[in-house]
Amino acid sequence: MADSDDSDIVDIEGLTITYRTVYGNLVSLNSVDFKVKRGESVSIVGESGSGKSTLGLAIVRLLAPNASYSSGRIMLDGHDVTKLSNRQVSLLRGTTAFMIFQDPLNTLNPVKRVDVQMLEAIRSRLKQEGQPFNEESAYKEAVDRLNDVRMPDADSIITRYPHQLSGGQIQRVVIAMGLLMRPKLMIADEPTSALDVTVQAQVLELLRDLQRNYQMSIIFITHDINVAHSISERMVVMYAGEVIEASPTESLVKNGLHPYSQALIASIPTISKSEGKLTAIAGSPPDMISPPNGCRFHPRCPHVMQVCTVQSPRTTVKDGSEVRCFLYG
Amino acid sequence: MRRPIQATVTTEVATGTVAAGKGKTTTGGWRFYLGFFMKDKPAFGGLIIVAVFVIWGALEGLMQLLSLWFPHGRLFGHPYSWALIPSNPFVLNFSPSYKLQPPSLAHFPSFLFGTNVDGQSILARLMYATPHDLAAPIVVVGSALLIGMFLGTAAGYFGGWTDEVIMRLTDAFLALPALILAIAVGVLLGGGFTSVLVALMIVWWPTYARFFRAQALTIRERGYVESSKLSGSSSLKILIKHIIPNSIDPIIAYVTLDFGTVILFLAALAFIGVGLSLYPEWGSESNFGLDYFPTFWWWSIVPGIIIGVVVIGFTLVGDRLQDLISGRMTY
Amino acid sequence: MVSSIVLYLIRRSINAVITIVLLLALVFILLHTIIRSPEGLARVICGNPHCSNSAIALIIKQNGLTNPLWVQFFSYINQVFHGNLGIDTFYRGRPELSVIEAFLPITLELVVTGSALGILIGIFTGSIAASNRNRAQDYGIKAVYLTAWSAPVFLVGFVLQLIFAYWLKLLPAHGIANAFLTPPKVLTGAPLIDALIDGKWVYAYSVAQHLVLPAFALAVASFGITTRLTRASMIDALDRDYVKLAYMKGLSKRTVVWGTAFRNAVIPIITLIALTFAFSVGGAVIIEDVFSYYGMGYFTVQAIYNSDYPAILAFVLIIGLAVIIANLVADLLYAVADPRVRLT
Repeated sequence: MADSDDSDIVDIEGLTITYRTVYGNLVSLNSVDFKVKRGESVSIVGESGSGKSTLGLAIVRLLAPNASYSSGRIMLDGHDVTKLSNRQVSLLRGTTAFMIFQDPLNTLNPVKRVDVQMLEAIRSRLKQEGQPFNEESAYKEAVDRLNDVRMPDADSIITRYPHQLSGGQIQRVVIAMGLLMRPKLMIADEPTSALDVTVQAQVLELLRDLQRNYQMSIIFITHDINVAHSISERMVVMYAGEVIEASPTESLVKNGLHPYSQALIASIPTISKSEGKLTAIAGSPPDMISPPNGCRFHPRCPHVMQVCTVQSPRTTVKDGSEVRCFLYG
Repeated sequence: MRRPIQATVTTEVATGTVAAGKGKTTTGGWRFYLGFFMKDKPAFGGLIIVAVFVIWGALEGLMQLLSLWFPHGRLFGHPYSWALIPSNPFVLNFSPSYKLQPPSLAHFPSFLFGTNVDGQSILARLMYATPHDLAAPIVVVGSALLIGMFLGTAAGYFGGWTDEVIMRLTDAFLALPALILAIAVGVLLGGGFTSVLVALMIVWWPTYARFFRAQALTIRERGYVESSKLSGSSSLKILIKHIIPNSIDPIIAYVTLDFGTVILFLAALAFIGVGLSLYPEWGSESNFGLDYFPTFWWWSIVPGIIIGVVVIGFTLVGDRLQDLISGRMTY
Repeated sequence: MVSSIVLYLIRRSINAVITIVLLLALVFILLHTIIRSPEGLARVICGNPHCSNSAIALIIKQNGLTNPLWVQFFSYINQVFHGNLGIDTFYRGRPELSVIEAFLPITLELVVTGSALGILIGIFTGSIAASNRNRAQDYGIKAVYLTAWSAPVFLVGFVLQLIFAYWLKLLPAHGIANAFLTPPKVLTGAPLIDALIDGKWVYAYSVAQHLVLPAFALAVASFGITTRLTRASMIDALDRDYVKLAYMKGLSKRTVVWGTAFRNAVIPIITLIALTFAFSVGGAVIIEDVFSYYGMGYFTVQAIYNSDYPAILAFVLIIGLAVIIANLVADLLYAVADPRVRLT
């Protein structure tokens, strides 16, 4: 199943995804290119509605029923996800890519105990690997993984129902469940947004350690640049369904190229510049059913030029960053 | 036969992304709604059925009132009450060529739905009966809305004992099948259309009371009610200003569905003989044919089909509205 | 864990008792607001419009009809809780309760069969529709359930009779069983169950044959509402993150739909059982009329034509009790199905 190790784990080209709604067709992703190397951790940053969650769901093919793949391809570990049958996709899910979701209250099945849900994962993995299932060793493995995610009192937690756990505990259970599947890629869709700040930091640190220990790739979807900065090597900024900049984290934070990236950075409250004014981004997010012509950011852009209103900018490479803006050619 | 209000189950299908698009896309006004119905062929068909039913019911109702006020008035040479109807719905004609005739094009359009044992045109009788089937849902649902709004909002807003008493009463009503209770009340009131209406009004409010209570409970918790309380508004003012307007959207779809349900109930009551009078009813027409079934099947079947078609009209419209309101707007 | 279920059920039972008392009050108030004078009430109890004045006076005295209303109400409640169900004052001329005893099991058998059939089919089709949302299956099922939902019950009955009894001649259109067969010993009163217990196989077969069409007509009505609610509930469950997580475990669509989503979606549907039962009882009145099925409903329609108020009120009371019991059963199932109820 696995290809040669130097190929990218995720390689998306020209991906366009459309939602049918009563208001009309909504192009959630517009010819997106996106790559993740093996062992790399990448953040996707953007406002809500920018298509970042859609991108994550598209990779594991769990889009809402009213969404359709209009064009482009998604190579996940060498397989085009848009072309596979349901059965083939279910073989890729979990063992190749595992996704963690935002809302802890909805993530675990409320009518089944934690151990039952974790054993389900192990049974499914063993079935994919063609190995026999042993309840006792599987149970031990489940408890081990809970210990790996630094779950205090794992032996008792595992016998509970989800409604008896806290949000932080649930996210840890889900991460442990991900580890049970031994995925090559972990996609985390705002896994910490619903958690308290202290718990949030613990979970982030845990993910960072696990990525290193298990040599996974991580796609971290967030609206919070601070979080993205702390966890990822590379950052991808999305706006209105398009990737507008992809840069190494440090260079993006210090020296963002796209006016939108710059505006995002300027809007972060940091202790160092706490005396300074916070800058909000002017204007409102675009109407996704009839988006602006030309560059989609131009109605809100401080550097808007004549060309921006008529023509869509192409991707240019500058100092190791990819950016879509006429300021850079 | 009561349908529970389905406001409790909401689904999210890419609502986040839709919300982002809400800025410039119109989501209101009759043009939007009409376009919204046009997009869905069955719902548009439902809208047409409902329109035909309402217009005919209102027109014929008016004609019957005119006939009541001017018993000697004539239009096209006939009394007002059936001047617009193919033939006199009450005239008896026992000649073999009129009695129990199957649906046909003879005497067009009188025999379109066949005739009954008295040689009366079933089409004429059904057309004549329409105003009752239009008036009943308006009166019953209207009263249920008012009573339910009053009791439910009071229960939800004041809580405590008021809530306990009102909700226990509501439960007791809901514990009984509405049809059975309506039968009992209708019979006890002595029959006739008015007593059927009163019976339906008595059984219809509890669902609405529950709905408005739930609305009041959620809205009470929201910030703006709290703030208008702090600014010294009276309870009554808060109720009128916030709770009722906020309940209208989800209730519209339900009311549309409920119109169909009232028609079904009216038909069911008439079928088993509650509230019978000389005035023809859709349900009782069907029941009169029971003894002649299946040889003269049209007598029982046709009225049933007409009821079904009208109710389907309301169901399709209500269903589509519910999709719109609950955010399942993806198809 | 067990004790919390017990507590939950005790709480629900107390609610049910309160509801029963309110129900009794309702029936009582209905009767007394419509007929105000003791003479009128006595006439109702007597049932015969030409009842002699002395008989009326006797009835007034025996039933304490001149007592204050609240005294009458308590004696009424007292009677009901002693198993009289008020019928002995209501049901003239015939041995108490025997009418109910004879007719109720027949109706219950019909209603339970019909609503169970409707619920089972509805849950299945609703789940299929939800898991194939906006595809051909969904639209097809929607067309069927909207039609089923909107058709008047008697039309469904007539159409079934036309097709299966008169056209295909597969099943009988009227009655409970072949009148020429000897009925089984009466044990439960429900004809099918009695025939099976008694080992009267031919009779049981005949009863089953007669049961199919009316039960199916009732099922059509409950099928519509169940499909709709199941579909909504299933769609809600399928959109939850736990379903996505189940997919992430590499499980097949079938395992996810039936093992994860359905297990959650079925919980709200349990409350529907009581509701469906209640409205099937309403539908049974009409269906029994159409199919000459001699149960409570048929008896009620006769009572309506004879303006037999006491019989109608007795019927209301019995049905109310049956529905309250159905609600209790649904509550019990709910507690079994949902750990959140069981453990809090």
